[in-house]
Amino acid sequence: MNYQFNWSVLWSGQSGGWLWLGVLTTLQIFVLGLALAVILGILSGALRTAPFAPLRWLAGGYVEFFRNVPLLVWMFFWYFGVPPLLPQVVQDWLFEHGVEFWAGVFALGVYHGARFSEVMRAGIQSIPKTQLEAALSTGLTVAQAYRLIIIPIALRLIIPPATNETVNLLKNSSVALTIGVAELTFQTRQIETYTAKAFEALLAGTLIYLLLCLTISTILAYVEKRVAIPGMIAQGQTGEA
Amino acid sequence: MKRSTIIGLIALVTSISAYASAETTLEKIDKSGTLIIGTRTGSPPFGYVNKNNEWVGFSIDLVEKAIVPALSKKLNKPIKLDKKESAPQTRIPLLTSNTVDLIAETMTDTQARRDQVDFSLTFFVTGAQFLVKKGAPIKGIESIAGKRIAAQQGSTNARIIRERVPSAKLVEFPDQPAAFQALAQGQVQAYTNDGIQLAGLKAKAPKPDGWAVVGEFYSYEPYGMAMRKNQSDFRQVVNVGLMDAISSGLYFEIYDKWFGAKGELPYPLTAEAKRFLQMQVVPK
Repeated sequence: MNYQFNWSVLWSGQSGGWLWLGVLTTLQIFVLGLALAVILGILSGALRTAPFAPLRWLAGGYVEFFRNVPLLVWMFFWYFGVPPLLPQVVQDWLFEHGVEFWAGVFALGVYHGARFSEVMRAGIQSIPKTQLEAALSTGLTVAQAYRLIIIPIALRLIIPPATNETVNLLKNSSVALTIGVAELTFQTRQIETYTAKAFEALLAGTLIYLLLCLTISTILAYVEKRVAIPGMIAQGQTGEA
Repeated sequence: MKRSTIIGLIALVTSISAYASAETTLEKIDKSGTLIIGTRTGSPPFGYVNKNNEWVGFSIDLVEKAIVPALSKKLNKPIKLDKKESAPQTRIPLLTSNTVDLIAETMTDTQARRDQVDFSLTFFVTGAQFLVKKGAPIKGIESIAGKRIAAQQGSTNARIIRERVPSAKLVEFPDQPAAFQALAQGQVQAYTNDGIQLAGLKAKAPKPDGWAVVGEFYSYEPYGMAMRKNQSDFRQVVNVGLMDAISSGLYFEIYDKWFGAKGELPYPLTAEAKRFLQMQVVPK
C-alpha cells in the first residue's frame, strides 16, 4: 500500500532529456521575459517620476492595468486575444513559429514590467530631490539628467527588491504551460505521464526551480555588494563596503 | 536555509509514505461511511458540471448506481458518495495520498499505470481521433506530418503521436476548453483526444456542424476505474458492482441515458463493444 519511490525514472529513458529541454525553455522564456520586463520597468518607472503629468498618468495607467490582472489571464490574452487582431499573414506566420512561446514571453515581460516599474519608481524617489536639481543646474536637460545620473543611481539602489521580482518572474514562467509552452513544469508532468511517477517528477522539478532561484539570488547578492553606493544603501551584509 | 529546505522535503516525503500505510481502503470507507471519488468537471458526458450547475456524468452515475450499492451491501451500512476534482496530472497522487479512494472519469488503463495503481474492469472503450474544422485537409494520423496538433497534457494520445509522427508539431494544453479555443482560432489545425471526448466537444460547440471528428482509431483506450494498489477486497467490490450492473442490464440503461439516441451525446454502443463488456463478467 505504500507509495513505491523509484528515482531512476528521472534519468532512465527520455526523462533526463526532457528535464534538460524543460530547463532550457524555462531559461529562454525567463531571459527574454526579464529583458522585456526590465526595459519596460525602467522606462515606465522613470516616467512615473517625470516632471510632466501626462507622462506620469500614462506610466501609472500601464502599471495599474497590468499588475492588477492575474498573470494567467495575461497568458490567455497574449495567446488567444492578440493574434486575431493581426492580419491573416502575420497570424499564419506566428502560428507556424511557436506563437505560444512568444505569447508567454510577452505575458511575463509586460506583467512583470509593471511590477519592476514600481521597484524602479521607489528607487528613484529614494534619491534626494537635490540630486536632480543639481544635475539640472549644470545645464543637463531632464532627459539627460535621468539617463546619466538618476537612473544609474536608482538601478544600483534597487537590486534587493529587483532580486525578488527576478526570482518571481522565473517561478511565474511555469504559468506558460497553460498555453502549451513545454517548459520545466510541463516536462515534469510529461515524465509523470510516461512513468506514472508523480512525486519523483514533481520533486525533481521543485529542486531544479530551487537551484535556479538560489543561483539567481546568489549572483544578484554579489552584484549588489559590488555596486553598492557607500552611504546610500543599507549594506545588507556587514557594512564593509 | 538550504539544509532546512532539504530536511523539510525529506519530512514531507516520509510523512506521505507513513500516512499511506495506515488502513485498507475498505476499512477507511467503513469508518467514514463515505466513498470519495476523483472525477472530472470538464469532460462531458463522463464527468462535468451541467447547465443546472450539477456535477453529473456517465462515470459518476456508474459509481452512484452500481458501486455504492455494492459497497453498502458489503459493509452492511449506507455509504455516502463524495466527489473531488481530478485531472490527468493529479489523479494518481490523489489516490496514493488517500485523498480519494477511486478515480472514476476517463482514465485509460495502461501497463505503466498498473505499476502505480490497480484498475477495475474496463467500463468504456474508445480510441483516439482528430477534431478538425469541417473540410480541413487532415483525415487521420496519416496526414498530420508537419501539422500543428493540439493534445491534452498527460494524455496517452500525445505520447503516441510523438512516437509515431515525430514531425507533427504538438502543442499540449492542460484542459479541453483551451485546446478547443486554439483549434477554433487556428493556432492549431487539429485537436486529438479520445473519439468519445471529441464527439462530446463537437456536440457542445456553438455550431456543431462546423466540426468533424475524423480518422480511424489510432489508439486503443480502455477506460477503467483506478484505486490504490493491493486493495483486492475493495477492488473485488468495485468489480462485482460493475459486473452485476452489466449482467442485470443496469449498465446499458445508464449507457442509454448518456449515449443513447436521446442522451447527452448520441454514441451508439457497437455490438463488438457490448460483447466485450459482457465477456468481462465472470460467473457468480
